[in-house]
Amino acid sequence: MNRSYPLLLTSLTVAFVILLAGAVSAQQVTIALGSEPTTLDPQLREDGGERAVNDNIYETLMVRTPDGKLVTGLAAAQPELLDPETWEVKLRPGIKFHNSEPFNADAVVYSVKRIIDPKFNSEQISFFETIKDAKKVDDLTVRITTNGPDPILLSRLYWMKMVPPGFSQDPKFAESPVGTGPYKFVHWNRGQDIVLAANKDYWGPAPRINEVKYRFVEEPGTRLAGLKAGEFDVITNLLPEFTQQVPQAIHILGLEHPIIILNADGGPTQDVRVRQALNYAVDKEALAEGLFEGFAQIAQGQLLSPSFFGFNKNVHAYPYDPDKAKALLKEAGALGATVELIGTAGRWLKDRELLEAVAAFWDAVGLKTKVRIFEFNEYLNRLFDRKTRADAIFVVSSNELLDADKSFSAYYRAGGIGSSNSDQELAALIDKARTETDFSRRQALYHQAVKRAYDQAYFVWLLNIEDIYGVSARLDWQGRVDAKILVSEMRLR
Amino acid sequence: MGRYFLKRLWHGAGVIFGVTIIVFVVTRLVGDPVKVMLPLEATVEQRAAFEKQLGLDRPIPVQFIEFMGGIARLDFGDSLWQHRPAMQIVFEKLPLTLELSFLGIGLALVLAIPLGIIAALRPGGLSDRSTVFVSLIGLSVPQFWLGLLLIVLFAVQLHWLPTSGIATPAHIILPAVTMALPALARMVMIVRSSMIDELNQQYVKTAFAKGLPFYRVVGIHALRNASLPVVTLGGWELIRAVAGYSVVVETVFAWPGLGLTAIQAIEREDLILLQAIVFTVAVTVVLINILMDVVYTIIDPRLKLA
Repeated sequence: MNRSYPLLLTSLTVAFVILLAGAVSAQQVTIALGSEPTTLDPQLREDGGERAVNDNIYETLMVRTPDGKLVTGLAAAQPELLDPETWEVKLRPGIKFHNSEPFNADAVVYSVKRIIDPKFNSEQISFFETIKDAKKVDDLTVRITTNGPDPILLSRLYWMKMVPPGFSQDPKFAESPVGTGPYKFVHWNRGQDIVLAANKDYWGPAPRINEVKYRFVEEPGTRLAGLKAGEFDVITNLLPEFTQQVPQAIHILGLEHPIIILNADGGPTQDVRVRQALNYAVDKEALAEGLFEGFAQIAQGQLLSPSFFGFNKNVHAYPYDPDKAKALLKEAGALGATVELIGTAGRWLKDRELLEAVAAFWDAVGLKTKVRIFEFNEYLNRLFDRKTRADAIFVVSSNELLDADKSFSAYYRAGGIGSSNSDQELAALIDKARTETDFSRRQALYHQAVKRAYDQAYFVWLLNIEDIYGVSARLDWQGRVDAKILVSEMRLR
Repeated sequence: MGRYFLKRLWHGAGVIFGVTIIVFVVTRLVGDPVKVMLPLEATVEQRAAFEKQLGLDRPIPVQFIEFMGGIARLDFGDSLWQHRPAMQIVFEKLPLTLELSFLGIGLALVLAIPLGIIAALRPGGLSDRSTVFVSLIGLSVPQFWLGLLLIVLFAVQLHWLPTSGIATPAHIILPAVTMALPALARMVMIVRSSMIDELNQQYVKTAFAKGLPFYRVVGIHALRNASLPVVTLGGWELIRAVAGYSVVVETVFAWPGLGLTAIQAIEREDLILLQAIVFTVAVTVVLINILMDVVYTIIDPRLKLA
């Protein structure tokens, strides 16, 4: 027993030395993620931790600017539509993977075929379902064909990471990734950390940070403590109430939209006046300030952020007008009616609080709101129940393609997995937009769809939540609307 | 002795079997990994395909037979979330949890004995009352809060120790202390009360009367007799550490052991991984119990393994 004390002291001293040695590495940045990647194969899983790391190792044909604009990445020029189902992509010359394999048409064809191969069983397949094939034309030209016209192919390509045809067949590939990006893989200690180093031969602007270390910390309080103790430079998903405590809080409009789906086919919400009243009744400004400390913006009457394709800037949020809400309810004879509002708790930031606040606003204009909070699985049963739709269902929609198609097909379109209307005219607009390859005609279709859903008040559009990162004082970084954490965009002061 | 172990193992196997069946049934009754793991906007066809891929579209009895066969081979199948063998993940994580639990409870035991004895020497005295008071606080503090408090004090304010992770030996100090404190509080109380009992026995008075030194009477004769309940509690604390505290402590300190993995498996409804974890924890608990029985016979040779 007596012997264990000197042992403890010795290990403490040793630990201090190691700790101090680790802390002074000047050009190293440490990023704390909520969960560890399950694999580092960039084409296999739908995994936030994997994506956060691999976004720095791998590249895509198309990329987005920090504010969401789609521009060329590994593609040399904007891909050309040869016919409604064929896109021709020219590639940048002279690019090499980290293991010196050349990046060329063969690599692109291989990467496309690998991810769409049913035997490969990629969890990312929902992004690429429309892709039929890829063919090499010459060493720097590839043609990608789709099943039917696919206007959002370029947004899809921004999700498809290019892998080296040779090394990706090695069983070690999933643990030691090799891409074309600004950072090279160094090592992965499972459970502990992943380290990347700057790629000195990178074809684009040289990265300014030499080394990146990823740590995995599930508990938000511990991430915050690690940032305050100087162990981390970037922490994700900072809670709004902690933004005052960190050296820098970076906030940027994200991809998440909390909305309430109203049942247009039955119950008290069948009447469009009631649905409009439910919109007028909610003070969205108060929700953004009171619950999110201002780190949320008011949704502009549509399930889209301003950076998304299809956003209609002529449609604005229903203003907060409780008197108008009361008048509309009275007109519809719905004063005192019971509205069932379904949601879940603990899945999304402030989900329960939002539900309860909305219910209070609805009650204030003369409705009886029955809030029912279910465990997530049971909640999903109700969200996906196509036979009996609840009056009102709370959901948070997330849209990584930054294009109206995904959210509208799921929630706006009659028969979609979470839709509560049978508006065939709206469905026709969405279907038509899905295969319309003309940019402005497609945009016009979405503008009409947005307007129609807004007039019919099929939803109560609440907020557009901002992503908040806690950042150390020495790091200069602005964040991105697509929530990617690209170290090549960071700089140490 | 050999027969005794066979019997205990046999009983233990029954417990483990029962626990695993309960997990199989409960996870399949309440959970649906397909819904939870796919994005909300996934279509009906995508869901069906995914269910098939996971093998969850097959009838429950078929899954059950496969599951039982898997247990026999110690192969629960691939984790739905990590796509590698669940037992491989468990064997990666278990040593970390055992390390933390043994160190934490060991620390509690090492501190509880002297503190309990000091308190017992003069019941009602200042040292006794302050020990009881501090123990009560230790018992009442929620562990996750205690962990965060220690992080704020020793990592954020004083910069003495790291907040989380496993990179260096210093990383284990705060989680081990967090693991130890509630157990320490309970153990001090037990050491104290059993020492008070022993010190009032006639043999203690006799020993003092014939002039034996203080440390021999208290530290050897009385402590040996007082230690049975302490060992019992220690074993129980160790079991709670592996099967319970580890979940909280590992989550707070980002300690990548079995407890944190269990939480992550529950969040992702990874039935397969969860089964493997519960099975392994059940086996560990049974083994710790057997180990405690052996320790009993060493402390008190009058006890026979029967």
